[in-house]
Amino acid sequence: MKRLLAILLASVMVMSLLAGCGGNPSSGGQTEAAKTEENKTEPGQTEAANTEAAAQESTEAAKPAPSADDDGLIRVWVGEESTEFYQKACDTYLADHPDFGYQIEVKGMDTGSVAQTITNDPTAAADIYTVAHDNIGKLAATNCAKPITDEALVAQVTADNPESFQNVINSTLKDKVYLYGVPYISQALFLYYNKSLVTEEQAKTFEGLQEAAKAAGTKAITVTGDDGFNMSFALLARKVSDKSTTVKIYEGAESVSGGSKGVSNCQGDDTVAIVRWLQEYAADPNGFKWASSDGWEADLNKENKGALAVIGGAWHYNSAKAALGETNLGITLIPTFKLTESSVEGLSSVKAGDEYRGGTFADCKCFMINATSAASKYKKEQELIMYLSSKEVQNQSYLEVMNVPAYVGAADYIKSCYDEGKVSESEYMLAASQVSMAEWGIPQPFITGTLNTYYYSKNAPAVFRAMIDKTAYPTTGDKILEETESLESIRKGLYLIEYLWMHGQAPSEFPGTLPSEA
Amino acid sequence: MASKKKAAPKDKANRVSVFERIGKAFSDFGKRFVDGSLGTKLSHFIFGAGNIYHKQYIKGLLFFLLQAGILVLMIACPTINGTPYGWKALRNLSLSQEKGYVSEGGDFDPETGDFTVGSDCKLIILFGFVTIAMIIIYFLIWNMNIKSSVKADNDKKIGKKPATFREDLAELLDGKFHVLMLTPTCIAAAVFTILPTVFMIALAFTSYNSQDMNDLGTNLFRWNGLQNFRAVFTGEGSLGFEIKNRFLPVLGWTFIWAILATFTCYFGGIILALLINKKGLRGKKIFRTVFIFTIAVPQFISLLAVRNLLGEYGPFNQMLKNMGVITESVGFLGLRPGDSEILAKVMVIIVNMWVGIPYTMLMTSGILMNIPTDLYEAARVDGASTVKMFFKITLPYVIFITTPYLISSFVGNINSFNTIFLLTGGGPTYTGYQAGGTDLLVTWLYKVTIDQGSYNTGAVIGIFTFIITATITLVTYRRSKAYNEEDTFQ
Repeated sequence: MKRLLAILLASVMVMSLLAGCGGNPSSGGQTEAAKTEENKTEPGQTEAANTEAAAQESTEAAKPAPSADDDGLIRVWVGEESTEFYQKACDTYLADHPDFGYQIEVKGMDTGSVAQTITNDPTAAADIYTVAHDNIGKLAATNCAKPITDEALVAQVTADNPESFQNVINSTLKDKVYLYGVPYISQALFLYYNKSLVTEEQAKTFEGLQEAAKAAGTKAITVTGDDGFNMSFALLARKVSDKSTTVKIYEGAESVSGGSKGVSNCQGDDTVAIVRWLQEYAADPNGFKWASSDGWEADLNKENKGALAVIGGAWHYNSAKAALGETNLGITLIPTFKLTESSVEGLSSVKAGDEYRGGTFADCKCFMINATSAASKYKKEQELIMYLSSKEVQNQSYLEVMNVPAYVGAADYIKSCYDEGKVSESEYMLAASQVSMAEWGIPQPFITGTLNTYYYSKNAPAVFRAMIDKTAYPTTGDKILEETESLESIRKGLYLIEYLWMHGQAPSEFPGTLPSEA
Repeated sequence: MASKKKAAPKDKANRVSVFERIGKAFSDFGKRFVDGSLGTKLSHFIFGAGNIYHKQYIKGLLFFLLQAGILVLMIACPTINGTPYGWKALRNLSLSQEKGYVSEGGDFDPETGDFTVGSDCKLIILFGFVTIAMIIIYFLIWNMNIKSSVKADNDKKIGKKPATFREDLAELLDGKFHVLMLTPTCIAAAVFTILPTVFMIALAFTSYNSQDMNDLGTNLFRWNGLQNFRAVFTGEGSLGFEIKNRFLPVLGWTFIWAILATFTCYFGGIILALLINKKGLRGKKIFRTVFIFTIAVPQFISLLAVRNLLGEYGPFNQMLKNMGVITESVGFLGLRPGDSEILAKVMVIIVNMWVGIPYTMLMTSGILMNIPTDLYEAARVDGASTVKMFFKITLPYVIFITTPYLISSFVGNINSFNTIFLLTGGGPTYTGYQAGGTDLLVTWLYKVTIDQGSYNTGAVIGIFTFIITATITLVTYRRSKAYNEEDTFQ
């Protein structure tokens, strides 16, 4: 009896262990199907993923044949916040197109980490997925995405989207340039502020915010994080008079395949002056502060006396509304600032009083097609994307879930919605500020095959933060730059950032003279 | 020294016997083949032939099916997600792009939408190891099948009828019960422990680093020998700079943390248990229960709550501000770059005491209640003071019993991911490095792999961590009284 009990217990334990490793039923089913299919098909029916020589010799690396993979379902991944909207849109589409032939399943994903999820295992990703455009290079280069070739869809993308987006949605495959991403949401940084403590006029300038902060006994402004995207407000600031900046990141690199990383520059006099200005502004008791470790929402909370305004994006709307309350929530462009005497000292091409506006990366979210999706679905997938990225659906998604449309002329539609009373003032300002800020920004750059890896993860943003905080950071070799206040050390820091962008690593040593402009 | 001298000749004898055993195995193998029946001879080539020869049909068939199954797998090479098992898996294990065993893919037909996906090097390595395991299993079964046939031969020779399948099954529930019980355990250990470990170790010898792979615009990686290990010392490679400058500080802090966290909780627990067990204390049960409450709350919730308490706008900082002690929030947990590293380190140790002491208290309470009271009575008669009794009776007794616990909690603290990750996130961070001031090897490992995608470097750090913890554990445990004088306390 005891033995039987022991066996029973042991088997239950083993079963529970195995149950934990079951994985999702759909992928399990798929692999089963692929397995049997592989045994059944003749060599001629499968395509080899290997080089030709290997393909002749074996079929083992072949992609599962379409029929095995095609489960009659097209899965779509969108941003978490708009899952329901797109499921509804797809249902409508199916109702209007009874002969579509596929079921559609929409799932919400965290768009910040979805690219990583896809590259980890493309076979587990949806047939159509959504990423920010700067991931296109990486997903294309690692064969996680399929080019888009449907003529009607390509024509729609070309006709609808601004040129700045069209430059960053292509990638190369075997030396040919293809369209990979279909933009449908645009995103840029703008300003949320506390209307009860800051007047509309004060919110227009950093100096005005500072004045309000002094009265309230808080800091003026914060950011939602210290990564490269949020830092763009300072690094990409542009002169108000002609919207110019000397900063260049991989300029011209999109059209270059292989090797070349385009032109980068971030050591212009204007950038140096802006760093000095922000150093001063951050050191002021009523100036700039980094987001609290308790979250930037805690900074906005009146009780905490943190900050009066935050630079954020549309995806922060609900949190900002919760932190400030709907009546206190003000939305506007990123403010302007004037260079001070001390910030232009020793610089020839800028002068005190020059007015700059905080900049932004002006990005778009795109639909892409999974490379591992069955070939038989390809045509229908493109049809579906054409519908989901159409102006009508983009407009509808603005009205329902506050996604800002990406197409040219969306500003007119946004205005008309407000005039017709379809959206509230803050909802209107949210979209209008983003559309306006897009004119002050550039899309995040990426290079075919390299994404903006360097821009993000090779410490350039961390070095920039250290410069603003005037704390030490490693530079060349094992050297640590302790002194970060002098003109020379600011130039060194900016040279380091530029070098990190271009080469993905720190320089072995600084050049004898640091050029002011490349 | 004496023990070493004694041990030496024994070792020598062992060594000889190992060679002898190998020699004997070979001669036995030959003898088994020559002396065996026709069935035994055949079973060297066809599994189960010997059993069928002895009319053990079911057993024979099972052996044959196993052989056939493995051979079919080896030759037919079925694929999963485009990656084959079988002999091709062994060949592909070389990850050779030149020979076409792995390929980038990317052949695209715009008309049909056909797209060839590149090889998945991770799966290729995994399937390669599975295939190697399969080959080992094949030979184990081969040997089992011959042995089974020989046993039937011998049974016949002494006039016994070879065991039927039913008898074999009954034997599994009786004389070979241990085999029945251990088989699932061994299989589970192989699949869930050994295979992932081997896989992880293998990654340390590859160029599997998503950032480097992105830079090169490829989804393939290759073997690169000891390069990743060399990088720890030379500082080359994409994370070499980080490893060269941060490995030793992180390792040092890991040890300081493990020692302090273990001993503060340990002695704190003992003192608390002594206080609660003190004669004459009222409401012992209430006190014990109160401290157990901290165990009842999930640890991560306690830790996150503390993180909020000590945060920039947390109650603790607000209180100090209201009292006028500080004007700016203090970064107790080093969550901002530039916060004090020492303060963060002190805080995590204190918070960890709060989380860890109840466990030791619970355990020591039981032990304290078990110390024979006559020891204390005898000591009292001899005129020993309370302090003396504590150091001469209580402490040695508790330490003797809890040494294995101490070692396991020390190792547990080396890998104490939760406490550090949830409290400080490894902060304060230093510009240019992943590893912050309070990062342990294990949280650093997380950042290097999950955040940075350097799976190869992560594997190297993992291997180093394993070597260090295994060495310390073995050495301390082997030297402890609990191991050397098992069952001999007093």
